[in-house]
Amino acid sequence: MSSAPKHASDYDDVHTDAAPQAPEEHHRHLNVVKPKATPVPLWRRWLVVGLMAASVATIAASFSQPWWQFTLYAPQYPHGLHMVMGLTGVTGDVGEIDELNHYIGMTKLETVASTELHYAAWGVALVAILVFAMTLFMGRKTGKWIVAPALAFPIGFMLDCYFHLYEAGHSMDPHAAIRLPGFTPQMFGNGQIGQFMTFANPLAGFWIAVVGALLVVVATVVRQRAVCAECTQRGACGAVCVNAFVVRKEHPPTGA
Amino acid sequence: MNQWTKRSLVMGTLLVGGVLGLSYCSNKAEQQIQQQEQGNLNASADLKTLMAARNLTEGDVEAALKTYTPTGKKDEYMIFASGGQSGQVLAIGVPSMRLLKVIGVFTPEPWQGYGYGDDTNAILAGGNQGTHKLTWADVHHPNLSETKGDYDGQYLFVNDKANARIAVVDLADFATKQIVANPLVASDHGGAFVTPNTDYVIETSQYPAPLGRDYAPLSDYKAKYRGLAMFWKFDRTKGRIDPAASFGVELPPYSQDLADAGKLVSDGWVFIGSWNTEMATGGTLQGKPAIESGASQNDMDYLHIIDWKKAEQVVAAGKTTTMKGVKVITLQTAADENVLTLVGEPKSPHGADVTPDGTAIVVGGKLDTHGTVYEFSKIKDQIAAKKFESKDEFGVPVLSFKDTIRGQVELGLGPLHTVFDDKGNAYTSIFLESKVAKWSLKDMKLIEKLSVHYNVGHILAAEGDTVSPDGKYVVAMNKMSIDRFTGVGPLYPQNFQLIDITGDKMKLLADMPIGIGEPHYSQMIKTDKLKPLKMYTPGFNPATGVKDPNAVEGGKERIERHGDVVDVYMTAVRSHFTPDQVEVNEGDTVNFHITSLEQAEDQTHGFTVDMYNVNISLEPGKHENVTIKADMPGVYPMYCTEFCSALHLEMQGFFLVKPKGAK
Repeated sequence: MSSAPKHASDYDDVHTDAAPQAPEEHHRHLNVVKPKATPVPLWRRWLVVGLMAASVATIAASFSQPWWQFTLYAPQYPHGLHMVMGLTGVTGDVGEIDELNHYIGMTKLETVASTELHYAAWGVALVAILVFAMTLFMGRKTGKWIVAPALAFPIGFMLDCYFHLYEAGHSMDPHAAIRLPGFTPQMFGNGQIGQFMTFANPLAGFWIAVVGALLVVVATVVRQRAVCAECTQRGACGAVCVNAFVVRKEHPPTGA
Repeated sequence: MNQWTKRSLVMGTLLVGGVLGLSYCSNKAEQQIQQQEQGNLNASADLKTLMAARNLTEGDVEAALKTYTPTGKKDEYMIFASGGQSGQVLAIGVPSMRLLKVIGVFTPEPWQGYGYGDDTNAILAGGNQGTHKLTWADVHHPNLSETKGDYDGQYLFVNDKANARIAVVDLADFATKQIVANPLVASDHGGAFVTPNTDYVIETSQYPAPLGRDYAPLSDYKAKYRGLAMFWKFDRTKGRIDPAASFGVELPPYSQDLADAGKLVSDGWVFIGSWNTEMATGGTLQGKPAIESGASQNDMDYLHIIDWKKAEQVVAAGKTTTMKGVKVITLQTAADENVLTLVGEPKSPHGADVTPDGTAIVVGGKLDTHGTVYEFSKIKDQIAAKKFESKDEFGVPVLSFKDTIRGQVELGLGPLHTVFDDKGNAYTSIFLESKVAKWSLKDMKLIEKLSVHYNVGHILAAEGDTVSPDGKYVVAMNKMSIDRFTGVGPLYPQNFQLIDITGDKMKLLADMPIGIGEPHYSQMIKTDKLKPLKMYTPGFNPATGVKDPNAVEGGKERIERHGDVVDVYMTAVRSHFTPDQVEVNEGDTVNFHITSLEQAEDQTHGFTVDMYNVNISLEPGKHENVTIKADMPGVYPMYCTEFCSALHLEMQGFFLVKPKGAK
């Protein structure tokens, strides 16, 4: 294509300066919008619903996976001490890390983020339901907000994680044997606390949530560009719209 | 593309890219540790200069390269060696010849808290029969448990010659679990050998005496003094010897010596050497010859052959006499039922070692220059045909020596014990010559002798008395070291010498001084057969083998008083005991029940109450019970005796004993 179309109406008659191509070739490209006279093909709607279903499944799958790993190295721990955080709790060498933490008066790991952990399953369900419901019901102008809950999921985890790391490092028992100035354990890469070198990195659960969010982004683009933008009802589209995905309601084109 | 889509895509990409980038940033901590392990020394030093400076030959360097074990590298084999008079067993790595552990067995061992807590005291007490508390042992022959004639790495059995005891060591935690005392005899030597599937642990008495340790004058020697072969039944599921299912075989009053169980074709048989068939009893003050000469008059002594499968049938048939609770097949029954048969063996023999294929038994003669090889098939055929040359004066059938042997090999002066490799060779210790003789079982020919330093007693080879020896190492266990080590006073260390037997020529690799006792036998097992624990499950009592009923959980520590008995339920975890204050009244009995809450590898605490002779070891998860009588009023620190942490010294508490009448 020589240049991007300015208006969908440009495509009422497709002509290019380049060598003419077979009409069906054009229809394979999403950015080649078919003439307004033809309703949006059903398979595009199914594609959007399918992509969203996949992303919801992905987001749900991240729930039981490990999300973030902290490894502590010291000479007497040549294999490292591992702490793995997820939406179901903290696992790994929890007892030993708590044992070490008591010297500096840090709270026990099992008490950290107990509220979030308690509601984590509901949170994941909420994100999944929101994504799917928004896909079905949002109008053309508000459709872009479908990406919000999906993106908020991994980002929210990181922010919450950081908050608790900060909290843990700044609310230590003043009667502890060793008193350290407040600190925030490193959340990415290498850090140092006392004789411990720390290393932190995201694990499968986080990446699965990121993949889920990307799928939502892709599905939303397809939804906006290839479904809603061409919808014959788009003129009447509000914040909520059931015409595209819930009820297939196509009116004859009203003309340009 | 719409503005919003562009924006969201860009933001999404940035977010994911950023996180990806951060997660791929390399783990510096791991790199640093790897660098430390690799070491920073460049191999710049000239080897020749080093050799000259330390006056080392190329042979020395070769030996060093074959044995040097850098930090972090592990040994291929482990020796379980008798600790001699120390009463303990030594665990030694091969080829590094580093001492890995002294396992407390018959003697209290303070570091392990063995013999300082109620439950290990009970194990030690299991071996006490007389009125004197035994605090030492003459540890002779450690034997590993076997499955189908091969070491299985599960248990170790060891005998105490001086007090006729057998101990069971569990190789899951390298700790002694049981000591059984033989109620019929006072000494043993032919132990603790196992049958090929560890059905029985064999213990044969050394010095004849009236069975049951009764009195009889020496003039009644032939009539009343006897030997005994004890077959201790091992219950593998419980990991303990079952005395009720065990039995003994009464033997003539010859001094029975080392023993070995048959394997493969000879499975079901046991072979026991003996000396003093003269039945000399000394009497030097009366002008009679000393036992050493009285017992060395005959040219031949007797190899005892016991058909233990038949003995089992005889026991099952009830043809036994019960003595002090032990079912005993009497000498008469043993002879009549062909449970016991004798065959001549050259003067003052030592060692009776079954070859890996089970077809032959090798006997050394302390006062004979030969290794004598008995053909098992000939023994079996003659006994089956009841083709006996004679009977001894107790009516025991005797086989013809020349019709029983495969042959004899001239080995040198004082051949003692024999072990085997995987190529059909035997290695015999030659005591008087201080040599190890390598010879071929097939050709019955001496191949080579290697000097060792000095007076080699037992000898061991890598899995050298199993059905499948590894043929890698032999260790000469020398009784003297004379000029080998820096002086440490008139009591010299013993000397273990590691020998490489992989080549055509034997090669001496390394010396290891043993400074704790005079070791006798040892066995060497490939370390991959051992599956040692790293820690106990919380509250486990290793001495009883179950979670202790008094195990204490974190948060449930307490002190309970029941009359004048005080139970202290205590936990230990870095760096505190809970409770850390225990106050009792003079005369109270105080039971400490202590559980280690640790679950980190190698994080051990100790526990002592000063002046009360308490020291226990609390490995991660372990539970111990300690009872003391609070009979000394005063204030006694309790503290952790293992440097556990930076605040180890602070891991202390107070044991206060209020004097009678105090308010």
